[in-house]
Amino acid sequence: MAISTATKAATDALAANPAPVSVGAQEVHRWMQSFTWDFDKNRTKYSTKYKMANDTKEQFKLIAKEYARMESVKDERQFGSLQDVLTRVDAANRVHPKWNESMKIISNFLEVGEYNAIAATGMLWDSATAPEQKNGYLGQVLDEIRHTNQCAYINYYFAKQGQDAAGHNDARRTRAIGPLWKGMKRVFSDGFISGDAVECSINLQLVGEACFTNPLIVAVTEWASANGDEMTPTVFLSIETDELRHMANGYQTVVSIANDEAASKYLNTDLNNAFWTQQKYFTPVLGMMFEYGSHFKVEPWVKTWNRWVYEDWGGIWIGRLGKYGVESPRSLRDAKKDAYWAHHDLFLIAYALWPTGFFRLSLPTQEEAEWYEANYPGWYDMYGKVYDEWRARGCEDPSSGFLPIQWFIENNHPIYIDRVSQVPFCPSYCKGESTLRVLEYNGKKHSFSDQWGERMWLSEPERYECQNIFEQYEGRELSEVIAEGFGVRSDGKTLISQPHTKKDGKLWTLDDIKRINCVFSDPLKAL
Amino acid sequence: MSIEVNGGRRGLTDPEIAAVIMAAVPDKPLETQRKMNYFMKPRGKRINEYEVLCCYSQPTPDWIPGGLDWGDWTQKFHGGRPSWSNESTEMRSSDWLAHRDPAFRWHALYVKDKAEEWRYTDRFLKAYSADGHVRSIDPVWRDEVLGDYLGAFGFYEYGLFNAHSSVVRDCLGDTLRMSSAMIGLDKVDNAQMIQAERTFLSKLVPGFPESTDIPKQEWTKGAIFKGARELVQDIWQATYDWNEILFSGHMICDPIFGQFVRREFFMRLSSYYGDNLTPFFINQMQLYFSQTKGITTDMFYTCLGADVEFGDYNNRLMRAWANKWLPRTVDALKDFMAIYATIPEIKGVSDKAAIEAALVRVFADWKRDFADPINFKVDTNALVKTVLSGLK
Repeated sequence: MAISTATKAATDALAANPAPVSVGAQEVHRWMQSFTWDFDKNRTKYSTKYKMANDTKEQFKLIAKEYARMESVKDERQFGSLQDVLTRVDAANRVHPKWNESMKIISNFLEVGEYNAIAATGMLWDSATAPEQKNGYLGQVLDEIRHTNQCAYINYYFAKQGQDAAGHNDARRTRAIGPLWKGMKRVFSDGFISGDAVECSINLQLVGEACFTNPLIVAVTEWASANGDEMTPTVFLSIETDELRHMANGYQTVVSIANDEAASKYLNTDLNNAFWTQQKYFTPVLGMMFEYGSHFKVEPWVKTWNRWVYEDWGGIWIGRLGKYGVESPRSLRDAKKDAYWAHHDLFLIAYALWPTGFFRLSLPTQEEAEWYEANYPGWYDMYGKVYDEWRARGCEDPSSGFLPIQWFIENNHPIYIDRVSQVPFCPSYCKGESTLRVLEYNGKKHSFSDQWGERMWLSEPERYECQNIFEQYEGRELSEVIAEGFGVRSDGKTLISQPHTKKDGKLWTLDDIKRINCVFSDPLKAL
Repeated sequence: MSIEVNGGRRGLTDPEIAAVIMAAVPDKPLETQRKMNYFMKPRGKRINEYEVLCCYSQPTPDWIPGGLDWGDWTQKFHGGRPSWSNESTEMRSSDWLAHRDPAFRWHALYVKDKAEEWRYTDRFLKAYSADGHVRSIDPVWRDEVLGDYLGAFGFYEYGLFNAHSSVVRDCLGDTLRMSSAMIGLDKVDNAQMIQAERTFLSKLVPGFPESTDIPKQEWTKGAIFKGARELVQDIWQATYDWNEILFSGHMICDPIFGQFVRREFFMRLSSYYGDNLTPFFINQMQLYFSQTKGITTDMFYTCLGADVEFGDYNNRLMRAWANKWLPRTVDALKDFMAIYATIPEIKGVSDKAAIEAALVRVFADWKRDFADPINFKVDTNALVKTVLSGLK
């Protein structure tokens, strides 16, 4: 076979320069945009009112194998720490009990967000037309699997080595029974995956990841380490390194629709709805987890909120998107009011409904009460007095026959659930911005706590038909609900949830609850 | 001491804080069951780490079989369609969470494997280039087959990669979702490896085109990949049922068309044309094919085909899908036969008898691994004959 001109050239080139040659990730990635092709049926299966551009770039420019290399290095550091140093110093057992309980909720609920984000970014991968943008979303799909596994690892680790495995060892089957779950599902599950594809991206990436992962995944590490928990910072900071890619994906989503007329018509409304949806849950719940789920405090939640949500996100991050016509949400000002009191209001309700949890809650100690009063003047008169009364009535003792939910009933302070956010509120006993609004539709009553959710419901009530927990449990006795929702420990009778974290305190059982004969009723029926 | 800690004081290492914490920690654990997900039924004897970290992460109400949650979806699509629903597939299951990756790979294990493959690829390419192997490749094979047709085959892999996007969104189980995403990444990895090989060749062979222009032209306009292109487009975009996408892609199209092109054409022939570079990449693709086969076999045969309640129905449906997608796959392969006219014939390697033998191998493998388990009756000799009618 005669040697070709090209082969001769290759031979000559090799003779002149025999240095080994390889191919870099960027050399492959630069061809990414040409990987796709046009054909008649090429369209997304998930509709969006926006038109996404074909030429959108992505910032991280990873190919599959380079992604794997990068993540594998991070995994080795993280799991190496957990399996070596932290295990040898018995770290899981040296966490403050209050914080150990908080991590049952935080790691499990974050896991739900991460899990649903797998599907969410699958939808965006389908919706995008630019191959680089698809590639960015694909990287995120894999990241979200990573984060799901990482969050699970926290529960796995605490279950195996910590002081109270119950709730860590079965969180995935017990999480649905309590009052915190459905709101969680709204913001971290359905809000990411059900709706206009770009609207879902705004929910997930522009708000969930660019705004609330900062307090949830970054700020939480300070609270964790202050309370003896070194597992959470190890894992969560590793998660956060991927969140930058996700924020970039959100940014690129906006870039991809910037030249579409629909962007100027709809974008700010979608952003406002997404922000309100997210903050309605996260503002009270994160504040509650930090301040009431810890013994050692880092700083008042309102300060953290102001820094991450109001200034960093609402100001700087959204400001950078200003050139694409993005404005800070109109509801930001109302959210700021909630940042001060809403978490105190929610803890009052969460504690009153403690038997429906999969974690132990405890009342503020004397020194914690002083800290609340110092940082939130007026706290004692509103909340501290109530906790003193509950404590005096034996709320922590199984033999007392007293559940704090009875206090709400006795004092005619009905607890409602906001139909859109699924967050419980007590309009007659709160210091936050909640006000009761009731609307009737197709013979059914719906309660709302604010104008923003009410507006969303009025536009599309069919999207928020979900029963709330009071409707779901109507007429059911509490111990039955707990048993049915797997709210008991492996002995089959002791509740996972408890109203205290005292080391010598008695643990409540199903029988203790049954004796009280607490039956759920739907407050909307009384209206 | 104050309960507000400033200056980054840490509870594990700060003696003052640690003392308060240890005084509050119970003297003995409050629960004896220390295994996460202890309530679940494992695939093997004991719950393994993969099952601990992946199973039941899907928040699904119990009316989607296998789900543990209560209640409805809290926000739905415009118009009221639910977040996830049984109607997204014609398949039926008594437990959508039953699937297991036979390799029990969660994310860390998956990326660890692939990262090592990347490191090994880098080492191999350096050794290959330093050794001057590129000089031995037949110029027609190198410039036309690798430059144009292997490049065009990258679009096949890229199209199948994209077919996984709606599967990752719509499927009803956690382990299914993770497996599907990993299969998707493997497919785009295949497309990227093909481009990596072409980029590598362009560095070694002056004038070898790195651009994707000609391969794209071949893929979108050429006759050799016409059937494959239309098949991939329909798996990717015209099919809505997420199980049908996986079934048509990984139980019909790829085990027949993909296997023939990768294993019987590029890998088997390359060494005869002096090319020992392409088998390196194809071998990685074949590893991914094998892992995918394990996953999809578990999904469709171990779980859905053997489902105690819906097994018979699912097998009937799979046979119906096989009837729908097999002829199109055979047509794609028939079109591909025209590629043999572009290469110098080597007796016993690329002549008709050798091609027929290769087709027999592929269809026999497919019949054994994919058709027989669902009792799908197929005349492989007739399929081989149909494909061979495409030889020029």
